[in-house]
Amino acid sequence: MRIPVLSLGRILLVSIQEDLTDSDAMQFQSDLVERVAETEALGVAIDITALDVVDSYMARVINDTAYMVRLLGAEAVICGVQPFVAMTLIEMGRDLLGADCAFNLEQGLEILKGRIAKRGDTRFDEDEDA
Amino acid sequence: MATPLIKLLHEHREELLDAWLHHAQSIWSGNGNYESLPQESRLRLRSIFDDIATLIAQTTPDDDFELNPEGALANHLHQFVTEQARIGSGANKTIGLMLSLKHLLSTRLFDRSEADAVADLMWLERIFDSLTQLTFTAFVDVREHLITQQSLSLLELSTPVLRLWSRILLLPLVGVIDTIRARQITERLLEAIARHEARVTILDLTGVPVIDTSVAQHLMKTIDAARLLGTQVVMTGISPEGAQTLTKLGIRFGDVLCRATLRAGIAEALLLTGQRISPVEERRS
Repeated sequence: MRIPVLSLGRILLVSIQEDLTDSDAMQFQSDLVERVAETEALGVAIDITALDVVDSYMARVINDTAYMVRLLGAEAVICGVQPFVAMTLIEMGRDLLGADCAFNLEQGLEILKGRIAKRGDTRFDEDEDA
Repeated sequence: MATPLIKLLHEHREELLDAWLHHAQSIWSGNGNYESLPQESRLRLRSIFDDIATLIAQTTPDDDFELNPEGALANHLHQFVTEQARIGSGANKTIGLMLSLKHLLSTRLFDRSEADAVADLMWLERIFDSLTQLTFTAFVDVREHLITQQSLSLLELSTPVLRLWSRILLLPLVGVIDTIRARQITERLLEAIARHEARVTILDLTGVPVIDTSVAQHLMKTIDAARLLGTQVVMTGISPEGAQTLTKLGIRFGDVLCRATLRAGIAEALLLTGQRISPVEERRS
C-alpha cells in the first residue's frame, strides 16, 4: 500500500492510516524523501492520528524519516500521537520519537508555519522577486 | 668465441633490424594510427637493437647474465617505454614489441639448426626475460608517476574555501572524499575560518556522489572542528539517497542547519549574520 503525499503550498502532508508492513514503511520513507527533495519542500507534517499501535520499528521509521527530512532542509513535525501510543513509546525508551510532536494536524501546521517564517530562505524570497 | 647467435646477429644485422621495425610498424598501425612510425621511435628502437646486439656479442652463454640497470641499454629502453606510456600505448603492446624481437631471433636461430643452438636459445631466453621485466617495471613506474601527479593536482584543485560574503565562507565539496582529502579539507577550512573570522560556514554537498560511513565520519569531524572555532555550519545540497544513508547509519549532526539548495543555505547564512541582499534604486543597464 502506498501512502499518498499531499502538498499544501510548500508544506507536505502525509497521513498514516493503518499499520504498515516493513516493506511498506520503507517505501513510504523513500517516497517522502524523494518528494521533499524534488519539490524543495519547506515543511513536512507526518500525521499518525489513526495509529493505535506503534511498535519500536515503526517509531524508528518515523523518527528516521523526520531526520532525513531535516537533512534535506525542511522542518518536520509529527502530529496526533495518541495517549496510549505515547505511553507505550515511553515504556520502550524515551528517545524513540525524538522529533517534534504536535497534538493534532492543525497545531502541527501552525508550528511548521511559525518555523518556516523564521527561516532565512523564505524571508528573502521577496528580495529576489523584487 | 662466435656462437650461432652471435654469428646470426653479425651476418644478418640489418635484415633483422628491418624485420623488427616492420613488426613495430604493424603494432603501431594496429593502435589506430595510420601514419608511419615516427622517426624518433625508429631511432630509439634502432639504438635498443644495437645495444642488445652489443650485449650479446660481449657476453657468452655460460656467463651469469645480469642486466646493468644503469647501462645504456636500460637507459634507452626506459626512455622508449616512457614515450610509449605518455602517448597512451598499452603495456601489452610495448612488451609485445620486446617479445617479438625475441621471437624473431629464436626463429631465425632455429632455422639455422646448428649444433649448439640450444644453449644459445636458453641464453636468449634469459636475456629477454630480464629485458621484459625491465620494460614492465619501467612502464608501471611511468604510469604510477602519472597517477600520483594527477591525484595531487586534483587534490589542489578540488578543495577551495571561498569567502562568500563578510564572515560567510563557502566550502563546495566535489567528488569522492577519502581520508587524505578529508584531512586537507578540514585543515584548509579551519585555517580560512580563523583568517576571516567566519561566523557561518556553508558546506555544499551537491557534488558529492556517494555518502558512506567514512565520508560521513569525515564530515562529522570537519563540522565539529569548525564549530569548536565558534562558527555555525549550514549543510546544503544533500541528495535524498545521501539523507537516507546518513540516517540509516545512525549519524546525527546535532544542531547543524540543513538546507535543500545552496541558494537557501546562502539566505540562511545571511540571516544568521544579520545581513540581507536588497535591490538598488538606480540600476546599471
